[in-house]
Formats: sequence, C-alpha cells, structure tokens
Amino acid sequence: MDTVKEVPRKRQRASQTMEFSFWPRHNKAILERLETKHVYLEHEHDALDTEMILNMGPQHPATHGVLRCLLRLDGEIIDTCVLDIGYLHRGLEKFAEYKTFYEFMPYTDRMDYLAPYSNNVAFCLAVEKLLGIEAPPRAQYIRTILAELARISAHLLWLGTMVMDAGAVSVFLWAFRFREDIYSIFDHITGVRFTVSHCRIGGVANDITPEGRKGIEQLLDELPEAIREWEKMLNRNRIWIDRNKDIGILTAEEAIALGMTGPNLRASGVPYDIRRFEPYLVYEDVDFEIPIREEGDCLARYFVRVEEMKQSLRIIRQCLDRMPEGPIRLDNAKYAFPSKDEVYYSMEGMIHDFLLTDVGPAAPRGAQSYHAIEAPKGELGFYFISDGTGHPWRMRIKSPSFANLQGLEYMMEGAMVPDTVVLIGSVDPVMGEADK
Amino acid sequence: MSTTREQPEGHEALKFEFTPLDPPRPEQATKNPMAKKTTWLPEVVDVLKERFGEKVQEVEVYAGEHTVIVDRHEIVEVCRYLKESLGFNYLADLGGIDRFTEEDRFEVFYNLVSIEGGKRLRVKVRVDENDPVVPSVVDIYPAANWNERECWDMFGIRFKGHPDLRRMYMPEDFEYHPLRKEFPPLGIPGSLPLPPQKPDGEQEYDPFARAHGKIPEE
Amino acid sequence: MQNESGFTEGGFLTTRVDAIVNWARSNAVWPMPMGLACCAIEMMAFAGPKYDASRFGSEVFRFSPRQADLMIVAGWVSYKMAHAIRRVWDQMPDPKWCIAMGACASTGGMHRCYGVVQGCDNFLPVDVYVSGCPPRPEALIHAVMDIQEKIRNEHSIRKDRREPLIIEGT
Repeated sequence: MDTVKEVPRKRQRASQTMEFSFWPRHNKAILERLETKHVYLEHEHDALDTEMILNMGPQHPATHGVLRCLLRLDGEIIDTCVLDIGYLHRGLEKFAEYKTFYEFMPYTDRMDYLAPYSNNVAFCLAVEKLLGIEAPPRAQYIRTILAELARISAHLLWLGTMVMDAGAVSVFLWAFRFREDIYSIFDHITGVRFTVSHCRIGGVANDITPEGRKGIEQLLDELPEAIREWEKMLNRNRIWIDRNKDIGILTAEEAIALGMTGPNLRASGVPYDIRRFEPYLVYEDVDFEIPIREEGDCLARYFVRVEEMKQSLRIIRQCLDRMPEGPIRLDNAKYAFPSKDEVYYSMEGMIHDFLLTDVGPAAPRGAQSYHAIEAPKGELGFYFISDGTGHPWRMRIKSPSFANLQGLEYMMEGAMVPDTVVLIGSVDPVMGEADK
Repeated sequence: MSTTREQPEGHEALKFEFTPLDPPRPEQATKNPMAKKTTWLPEVVDVLKERFGEKVQEVEVYAGEHTVIVDRHEIVEVCRYLKESLGFNYLADLGGIDRFTEEDRFEVFYNLVSIEGGKRLRVKVRVDENDPVVPSVVDIYPAANWNERECWDMFGIRFKGHPDLRRMYMPEDFEYHPLRKEFPPLGIPGSLPLPPQKPDGEQEYDPFARAHGKIPEE
Repeated sequence: MQNESGFTEGGFLTTRVDAIVNWARSNAVWPMPMGLACCAIEMMAFAGPKYDASRFGSEVFRFSPRQADLMIVAGWVSYKMAHAIRRVWDQMPDPKWCIAMGACASTGGMHRCYGVVQGCDNFLPVDVYVSGCPPRPEALIHAVMDIQEKIRNEHSIRKDRREPLIIEGT
C-alpha cells in the first residue's frame, strides 16, 4: 500500500503570495510591516493554519469612514495590526498656502464633518490669535453656544453609530431624530444644515435668530429626557457592558505616551481638557464639569462622552441666560468684514470689503502662533506661520483623530476580532480630519 | 529719460502687487488679547539655555508664545531633558515646515505639553536640504511615530532611528513629497494612476480621462 | 366567464414583460453607500427618520456589493481610494446604477488638488449627478427618483441593453 508521505508545507510569507494589481509597492510595504512588527523570532510551522491576514478594507460599514485595518490573526485574537490611512487625503495644508484666510473657511468645515462648527471656531480663533484681535463678547457667546451644539451633535452621531455597530440599530434612529433638530437650528441661524461657515474672523456672520433661539430652548427641554432614557437602556445593560468592559484598556501613562486626546484621554484618568488648560471663548465664565473616569476601557469612554453631552447642555443654558447685547463682529475693518450697510453706503467700507475679499487680513511677516480648542474628538489646533501676505506661509492642522488612531493601532493588538468594531467606535475617529 | 516703469503685458498688467507686511513690532510679542498663560515660559527657556548653552540657537517670541530653536543633533537630548526633568510628558504635535531658503531649508517643530505643570512649549530644529536627516524621538515620545512618518511623506525629511519609516498618506508608489513648495497644488499628471476604464483593463494615467473622451465602461 | 373589468376568470393581467420587470426593479433599489466623507452624513440623514429612504424601496443599505444595485458615491474620491471603489463596482452584479452625490464626487468639487480625483466619472460610469456641498437629503431623494425614472425607461430584457445612440448627419 502506498503510504502518504508527510510533506511539511513551507509557509510562505504573505507578502510573497498576495498579488495586488493596484498600488503594488504600497501593499507590499504594508504586508512587510505586518509580518515584521514585534517579531523577534522566526515563526514555527503552524500546523492548524490558524494564522490569517484579514483586511478590513477601506470600504467597510463599521470603519467609520475609510480606514483600512490589516489584522494578522491567530485564531480569533489579533496578533499584530497595521492601520492604513490616507484614503481621504486631500492636502489641506497645501491648499491653505494658496488661499486667503477667509477663502479657507469652507475647507475647515469639511475636516471633522460631524461637528463642522467646532472646526470653524478653531480656525477663526487661531487666525485671530495670529492677527492679534479678539471678537466682541456677544460673538464669543454665540460661538460657544453653537460650538457646544456641534459637540452634542457629534456625540449623538457617535452614540448612534457605536451602538449600531454593536448591534442595536434603534439608537441610531433615535439619535438621528435629535440630530435633525440640531440641523434645523443651524438651518435657521446660519442658512445651512450642516457644513456651516458661520464664523468670521473677528466675530460671526449673523446673529441668533428668534426661531433659532426657540429651537435651542426646545432642544434643551427635550434632549435631557431622551438621554435619560438611553442611559436607562444602556448603562446597566448586560450585553452592552459585556461588550465594552475591559476592552481596549489604556492606562494613563500609556494614553499620554501614545498622544491620545479628548475623551479617550479623560476616560483613562488624565485631566486634560483645553477648555480648562488654555481657556478660550467664554469657558472661564460658565461653570461645568469635565467628566473623568479611571478605568480606561471602552465603557469608560462611553460614560465620558454621554456625560459630556449633558455638560454641554448645561453650558448652553448658562450662555443663553448670560448673553450680552452688542455687536457681533469686530469694528476694525482692517481685519473683519464691515457690515453690509457700511459696505454699500460708505467708501471706506467698500474699499476695506474689496481688500479683505481680494487679499485678506494679513499678519506680520514671520509671525507664528498656535491655538487649540477642545473639539468633540480632542485637541484640534491650528499652527500658522505668516509671511506678511494674506495667505499663510504654512498652516499645520493638529487633528485629534490622527493622534487617536495611533492609540487605536496599539489597542487593537491583543483584542479579538469582534472587538475591533467596538474599539473603533469608542475611539471615534473621523477620517476627514485624520487624513486632512 | 523715461520715468515710466516697464509695464508687463497681458494679464500680468492687472495683477495686484501686495507688499508683505513688516516683521512684528516688539510689543506684539507679548501684547495679544488671545495670548494664553500656558505658553509664556521665560523660566523654561532660561533653564534650557543654562543646560545646553550653545546648542539653543535662537528663541522666538510672538503672541505670548516661546519657540526655542535647537541644534538638530541634540534634539533627542533636549527632549529627554524636557520630559524627565521639566515634566513635558505629552507630545501634542510634530511636523515640518518648508522655509524655502537657500540654507536650512526645512524646519521640524515639536509641540510639547506639560499636563501637570500647565505649560506648552514649541521646539524647532533646522534641517538642511542636502542632508535632511533628524534623529527620531520615538523612544522618548512614542506619539511621534506617525507624525514623523507624515513628515517624511510630505517633506522628505528622514528620521534616523525610526522603526517604520513608511509614507503616511500617499501610497508608496508615489515618488514626490507634496508639501514642498515646488510641488504644484494640482499634482503632477501621471504620478498617481486611476483605475482601469474596463474591468480587465490597464490602469489609466490621465487624470482627466473623462474630459479627454475616455468613457468608462461597466 | 368574463367579468366587467376585462379579467377572465382566475385573474390574468396583460402587459409587457419590460413594464413588470422595470416596475419591480425601480421600487426595490437597494443602495450600496460608498460613504466617504461629509456627504455620507447627509446620506445617513437620508436614511434616517425624517427623510425616510425606505419609502422608496431602499429599505436596507446593503454594504455588500453583491447584494446591491445602486452605488452612491458620497464624498471626495482620492486616488488611493479610487482603485478600491472600482473594484467594488466591478463586483456588483448587473444591472447596476451609480449616483455621484455631491460636488466632490461629481467633479472634484472644492478640492482641486493632487490627492483628489476630479470627478468619479473618470473611472465609473455615473448615471445621476447630484450637486450640492453637501446636497440636502431632498436632493438625494430627487436623485433616487431620477434613477427610478431611468430604470422604468430601460429595455430590461433585451440582450444588449445599452446601445450607443448614433446621431446621423451633422
């Protein structure tokens, strides 16, 4: 009888066997990295063939945008993980060198497209710091209210998508119902549902309309009740806790070393919030708490964000009560657009309007400054270097999602495959911002 | 003798020449309504100067912020001293700047934060175009990993000692460094291929294929 | 025995096969969202409770290309991503349609730069373009209705469906 000879199968390196018809050098480089990351010994022959490379490709329902996760699996556990980003890269920093500060405003909307108002505020504050001007108090209150509204809107979408990815689809629809309310408020005040370019350098474009104010007050009445109901459903839910507890634990030192920012850092116990660290707008005058948790797992991040939503409502209520009367844009026509009356009825107004549209406000040559805000995702900062003309010489965007994704790469190693969805949801990256 | 200047022809004649503004006046260094307390660090700068002497090349101050420029070979030592002795344990940002000068064309800046101490400092190093190598600070701040990769991708500055210097945003097949000043904003046609026009066709190297009449098939 | 409405006993209906097939196809268009950027958020709002997509038959947003027949490209397409999108498009079975949602997917939009494909019609056969940045969900509803209109006017059962239109003269 013939005996079957045992021929040991030589395990080929994946980078040799997988052929890609597009971006060959890129994919080869990624696979090389996946094979060699953290590897100090040669791998032995894997008898059960439990090693596998899984590509959660750029198009995937759970990856919150176009994030490509390459996972090397050992059964169900992730051995090494490489994140490939850049699928949404447009070169905003290159763009900024060719546009004036005013012309760049719409691009900032499309960075973190879940809370566009935050990005507008960040950009305007950074430019105002560079130019050495400050917006009037009423404009600052309006910016604070709308920025906190954008934070609520971003966290609502986070809640909807994270819980939907974990399986409960209804929360997505409930969260979107309130997001539509917030969209109507923005529509009344700014004219656009969503990618508003409402901030102007030196103030805001127009004042809060009465319908907008009524909408905000209605939201302040309805949303806390809804959040209470969702908490009742999720906070002590056995399935939710099991899916999230002790997943992706980051200690405070690890979180600081990895450069994580925003609610991810605060869920690990680090009390770093730009609203308290480097106060901007009117955050020194309102009182609110910064939710901080110690555990550092996905459940802690969930609690921190839900609590942040409630604190945002508190801030909005206080700002609405305290808002002073006054102008909404700086009176200095060298930097801020004059009002339409002045433009149409006075020569100087028209000249300055033309100049600001054509060339834009300019900072001294060689001036550089950095200003950060606490966006819903973390520390969003703009670093400008001016060359004396209306275009910045260099604009560097410090995007929080970029830093958070680095931490995500570290967190995914050692987790199981179904946890990737929950991890990505809890870290909450926005690819438009991470890829700039 | 003609006193009229030579006027350029055509559309150049209508171009608006804008004289750049002057460098900042001295009071703009400190008087700024948006200046924060966390960035005004004269005592940190003094300590650094005392410890490193000549290696601290320059200090720039604007809008209440201190920027320290150090020699690029010492950046690892400076970062280690800042982290261990002065408490700057969080690296917020790292990136490159293209100054487009003859000498020391590039700069790499580091945005360091001391969370406990409430301080934010910016450290810069100058890099020459002919030798664009900077020691990597990944061992001190692991957060620098992806930022240095992005700097390599966008500027072409290599980081010595980085475990994994690949491109960050552009695919590896791309051969240029986009944020350099000489790279055109619309890109270089043919540098990035488009997918094929038929399911089993060749890649398309013309970025405006549709406008040139190549209709994609299903 | 025939009753007044023309139906013989047992209930027979006379129509063209095209009409039935097109009616069925147009009222059950399952989109596959290629949600890339901000337009994806408006597409989620389109699927949300206020601008309900499921009343048009798009009850489920199928994320697998094999199960969908309409691809909505929402957001700017970068060169790196374009190959993945084309691959997904090739995996979709016929008949399939494509909506380029938003200014960025139609023409590159405000992003006239090195990383963005200036219009996804450079590598995909697009059927409907939607303008807007981002387009309101009502605009997307209009686009889906346009696709339904296009489906209803197709010759579904002919062998080569899309014949080129040859205009003689000129």
